[in-house]
Amino acid sequence: MICKRFIMVPLFFFMTLVISGSSIAGGPTEDVRKTTDKLIAIVSDPAMKSADRASERAKRIRKAVDERFDWKEMSKRSLARHWKKRTQREKEEFIDLFGKLLERTYLDKVEGYSGEKVLYVGERVDGNYGIVVVKIVTRKDTEILVKYKLKKKGSEWLVYDISIEGVSLVNNYRKQFNSIMTRSSYEDLIKKLRRKVEGE
Amino acid sequence: MGASIRVLFFLICWLNMLTFFCFAEKAQTWSGHVEGETFLLATEVEGHELDRMVYAEGRRTEPGPEERHPSNLKIARVKDLHETSEGSDPWEDEAEEIDSIYDPLEPMNRAFFQFNDKLYFWVLKPVATGYNMVLPQLARVSIRNFFSNLVMPIRAISCLLQGKFEALGIVLVRFVVNTSAGFLGFQDVAKQALNFPVQDEDLGQVFAFYGIGPGFYLDLPFLGPYSLRDAVGWGGGLFINPFDYVVDFWPNVGIRAYDIVNKTSLRIGDYEAMKEAALDPYVAMRDAYYQYRLNLIEK
Repeated sequence: MICKRFIMVPLFFFMTLVISGSSIAGGPTEDVRKTTDKLIAIVSDPAMKSADRASERAKRIRKAVDERFDWKEMSKRSLARHWKKRTQREKEEFIDLFGKLLERTYLDKVEGYSGEKVLYVGERVDGNYGIVVVKIVTRKDTEILVKYKLKKKGSEWLVYDISIEGVSLVNNYRKQFNSIMTRSSYEDLIKKLRRKVEGE
Repeated sequence: MGASIRVLFFLICWLNMLTFFCFAEKAQTWSGHVEGETFLLATEVEGHELDRMVYAEGRRTEPGPEERHPSNLKIARVKDLHETSEGSDPWEDEAEEIDSIYDPLEPMNRAFFQFNDKLYFWVLKPVATGYNMVLPQLARVSIRNFFSNLVMPIRAISCLLQGKFEALGIVLVRFVVNTSAGFLGFQDVAKQALNFPVQDEDLGQVFAFYGIGPGFYLDLPFLGPYSLRDAVGWGGGLFINPFDYVVDFWPNVGIRAYDIVNKTSLRIGDYEAMKEAALDPYVAMRDAYYQYRLNLIEK
């Protein structure tokens, strides 16, 4: 018994070291939280609320979002089997357009922020892949479960998919892209995408 | 008069059920076709893609219990890790498969989608916006809670039929607490005080629990997206709703319409955002519905 306890004590110390060490390195939750806090700070900053600073505000939000989202990974997964058939230039063009569309969608969501609570309810990590589960409590008393899927690139965790109440963004776009491409062509998809992005 | 319409509706539901079983056979041949397609595709794509297809296929072709076991999946995945330089995604088998809901009635559904779209922008949204101005948000949330509380019998029966006894307990406690302490359900005391959230269970999920597939996709006028299975479940749910036994047909329709207006008033902008972000709103809606239901069923 005594022997066991002697082992347990250093083990406990070791474990606390490991735990604190990993929190210094920053898990996926930390990275999602960092970006979310940054966005909330920008959106709720009263100095940024005036109309003449709207573009600066949007720019700052866009920068914060850009840092955390992996547009390339999202494009690749959304095009799925059609990705391989694209040339390097087509891929770059697609990432740019699709990234802009997602950015704008996300921007609209963030701009609509009105004091919702963001709770971090779960995290799973498996090698370079991670899932962060977030619960958003709106002022209308509804709870929205959001799941971020992240991939580690260097020291940062980057988001490559968001599921809202079980509806994955990448999956949803994949079905749309696939439907458009089987019906007409990739060129048509790009045309539609461009019209959507430049529509405003 | 109300009774005869109810009987008629019941008959329609059963007819739907019958047609569903006829279609079930067709749906199977359809999924078989897709398997063939993915198999062909798998030969032309690289390891990363291939691995995804294999998993997607594994789900569809009902693997044996030992194959389904997560630890075995992981072993298979580790093997793939050595083959692909980038490494594979551990969560990929969860939602990345290319399966989607069968949609043989797409032209009709698209027409009804347009109809519902116009209904929303021309009727529902203006009405709900006006209603918004008259009633404060707190009142609207309370009214939503009141209607939600009345759906208890459907939730209770659905939990019972799926053997979800813990959820059943929560449903019953919620009903008792919210009806009494929550002033007839206007206040969701059970969630605030006991942390008992709404149990989102319905007959469609019961059918899925017993292995009935979604059938095919329906975008119904006024009602919106449904799978055949869930539409039948919804129809069945009408018979378990207390309103049907207390009020006549037309007042009942009125109450339901009011419920919808009230709910819509709390989520103006959601549909617009979805449409704004989509390249093909119809497909986006169909897939979102499918994924959303799948998520509820898996819970």
